[in-house]
Amino acid sequence: MARKSKHSRPDEAFEPYEEHAGVPMPVNWVAIALTIWGTAMLYDTGESVQESLQDRAEDSDVVAQSVPDEGTLLFGANCATCHQPDGRGLRDAVPPLAGSEIVAAGPDIVSRILLRGIDGPLTVVGQDFDGHMPSFDSALNDAEIAELASYVTTRWADTTEATAQTSEEVASLRAEIGDRGSFGGGAELAMMISSLPDQPPMPARSHVQAGDQAARDLVFAGRDQVWSCASCHGDLGQGDESTPRLAGLPGAYIVKQLQNFREGTRENESMQLVVQGLSDPEMTALGAYYTDLRVPSTARPVLSGDLKRGEQLALQGDWSIGVPACFTCHGPSGFGVAPNFPGLSAQHAPYLAAQLANWVGGQRHNDALGLMAQISEALSTQDRRAVADYLASLPPVPAGGASMARMETQDDQ
Amino acid sequence: MPLTLGLLLSLSFVVSLAALAFLIWAISNRQITVDQGDAETIFRDGEQGHIDNQGTEHGDAKMRYHFDPVRAGIDAVSARPVIVLLGTATVWLVLGSIFGVMASLKLHWPDWLNQSAPLTFGRMRTLHLNLVIYGWLSLSGLATVMWITPRIFHVPLKSPRLVLVGAVLWNIAVALGGLAIASGWTDGEEWLEIPWQIDMLLAVAGACFIAPLVRTTRARDVHHIYVSGWYFLAAILWFPVLFVVANIPGLHSGVEEATVNWWFAHNVLGLWLTPLGVGTAYYLIPKIIGRPIYSYAVSLLGFWGLALFYSQVGIHHLIGGPVPTWVVTLSVVHSVMMFLPVIAVAINQHVTVAQNLWALKESVPLRFISFGALMYTMASFQGSIEALRSVNSITHFTHYTVAHAHLGAYAFVSLVMFGSAYYILPRATGRAFPWPGLLKLHFWLVVIGFGIYFFSLTIGGVLQGLSMLDATRPFSESVELMKPYLEARSVGGTLMTFGHLVFALNLLGLAFYASTRAQNTVAAE
Repeated sequence: MARKSKHSRPDEAFEPYEEHAGVPMPVNWVAIALTIWGTAMLYDTGESVQESLQDRAEDSDVVAQSVPDEGTLLFGANCATCHQPDGRGLRDAVPPLAGSEIVAAGPDIVSRILLRGIDGPLTVVGQDFDGHMPSFDSALNDAEIAELASYVTTRWADTTEATAQTSEEVASLRAEIGDRGSFGGGAELAMMISSLPDQPPMPARSHVQAGDQAARDLVFAGRDQVWSCASCHGDLGQGDESTPRLAGLPGAYIVKQLQNFREGTRENESMQLVVQGLSDPEMTALGAYYTDLRVPSTARPVLSGDLKRGEQLALQGDWSIGVPACFTCHGPSGFGVAPNFPGLSAQHAPYLAAQLANWVGGQRHNDALGLMAQISEALSTQDRRAVADYLASLPPVPAGGASMARMETQDDQ
Repeated sequence: MPLTLGLLLSLSFVVSLAALAFLIWAISNRQITVDQGDAETIFRDGEQGHIDNQGTEHGDAKMRYHFDPVRAGIDAVSARPVIVLLGTATVWLVLGSIFGVMASLKLHWPDWLNQSAPLTFGRMRTLHLNLVIYGWLSLSGLATVMWITPRIFHVPLKSPRLVLVGAVLWNIAVALGGLAIASGWTDGEEWLEIPWQIDMLLAVAGACFIAPLVRTTRARDVHHIYVSGWYFLAAILWFPVLFVVANIPGLHSGVEEATVNWWFAHNVLGLWLTPLGVGTAYYLIPKIIGRPIYSYAVSLLGFWGLALFYSQVGIHHLIGGPVPTWVVTLSVVHSVMMFLPVIAVAINQHVTVAQNLWALKESVPLRFISFGALMYTMASFQGSIEALRSVNSITHFTHYTVAHAHLGAYAFVSLVMFGSAYYILPRATGRAFPWPGLLKLHFWLVVIGFGIYFFSLTIGGVLQGLSMLDATRPFSESVELMKPYLEARSVGGTLMTFGHLVFALNLLGLAFYASTRAQNTVAAE
């Protein structure tokens, strides 16, 4: 066939060579254009790297200068939702700081309380309270605790003694405290502060071994296709990444979620499989088990969200996009309002952001009145990350708060 | 601005630019040209006695560029090493593509053949990758280099026995590497899985290939080095550096290790397989068509563009990773600068083919090679665009990248190597392929198979990327939506593998069924 071709067949001995045409002009233009683009791109990156370096330098300047208002800012962000901006607390619910005998004992005690939290009855300025102060151990660093302790004592302690606390002192306190857990109410505080008035006795803690044996078996051993809860949610219900923290959530809320998984109004392959093997009494037992657990926060802001924006959404909401403050329903500091509004504080950021996305995507539609779907729809991806990160940075649901929730639930039933 | 590594690397961009500007200036001022004297040299070195074989209107030009490698006893020396290299390469190709198909099937039949560890996806895919890179592509590329280099330098291959020793060692090393990977013993980095202990054997084998080529080059009998020679010589000097630096154990760790990993992995494609493929196309396209390529100046631009810009390209695999922004940006810029050498190669190779389309009909090897050359242009353009952050954030971590890798390593390099094997083997053995129809069948099987493979993964990959970026859709959705595309990929991959079996059959036919009739008339087949 080749022989019939009208073209001359190449000779086997032909040797390839190059002709001498110059480089076509368009190629030079492309070269010039690419060069300009490349240089601009590198210059641009250089600029933004410089800018971010400057930003970082300015940020650290702010910290170093320790603006006088720093304590006010910290107090507003961490304490004022419960203790109120004027430090007077809430009658029957939150003890006052103003005039408090405990605050009068000095910044050292305040730092200790911030680090450990209080879990038990106490008497302040003649009033009895059921103490549910969370531990800020995981939420604030040494400098912030020192700043807060100084601020609180300077403002409310009626004392002439030194009220300043340094971050070195806090660091050594932190080391000394270790994982001793919350103060056992006013009784334990009285052992450290001789000037305290009489404190109510600490009731015996029964919930440490709480939860009936069946629930414990489910949590730690599992059964057939109900694999153990702890295998994903952790041995203390602390959760991780996109597996939620269960410790301290309202029991009724946990039961409702398990039922929703069964009904299919909330989708998750693992949980939908697990709930098929769970009976209603078992769900109730599990809810009761987890609501009693306390564990320090293991959540961290890991989504590079804008914490300022997150704080704004949580505390004030953003009415320009029709989003109310999270804390309006989920309680002050996001501690939750039993039985329907789960605690959000110290929840893992990836989990929270994923849930907000799930409301939008329709994998979760078990909210009353479509409340959460509406809110999530209004939030941008960045907003979802911001608020999830902010909530993850908060201290966990205070000890005891959850058991109250459980009692209320039982009353309902 | 503080003196950082980023600054130093950016300096490399500036230096590359300056070099490029100088090159373009030099070309436009005719500082670099093959003058008439060079041409005369080639003419005198050529076998003048064969001018009378010419009988066409192109006679003048052709007479000057005329050299009979058979007469000069060149092909006879290279034949044995080349046949051994190509034969063993084909074994690895068949094995490697079977593993590839199995890995592909496992993506949509996850429970198939999962009883024993060597049959699991992780090892199958790794075996596929390493066998086709180190077994098929490297060996077939080296075979082509061993064949063409002596021809363009007008001297017989030096130390052909050493090449045979190298071939034996290399094959042993690839086999051992495959066994190590199957048994779960690897270095744990993509493209560098073969344990470094076995890599040492590969390095020794590599030296057995490089030494004869360097000796051949030093003994060359031509003044002007043809463009294929630049690519080949650069490749055999670049690759050992890449291979040794990336494989030395304990030299790099952490992020640095990841950076070196991708620097290596991408450069295997760009500074090893690409020059082999481009160099082969540069020789065989004009050789088969019988016309020169368009421009020496453009070849210079293409070669030096690759040399100056390619080495920084790989880090765009780490966009979004914990690597300094500078390093990644530099890599993105270098990736996009690759447009330039690619345009240059495209002008030189495609123009020559486009002006002689008749030859595609007559020559199956040319069909493979110019299809491959076209795919080089496509893969490089796609790669430059893929390196941009905005595109990369969608396509990275999806099957899109897999499609792109196959466009470069398969549709470009492998197809060029098929063509080169079909061109070289009849001349090396002095036999003709017994079943010419099967060559065409091979071509259409791999081209159609690849088309299905590429388009399904490209489309699926984009959909997968968009789905993964959407936080409101569960991750499982991005997996489920890929299923039909993965099935199509298996269909395409299976067609390609059938093509490879036909290729192996053709080679067997040549060895056992072919008549030893004169082959010198078959420039085409």
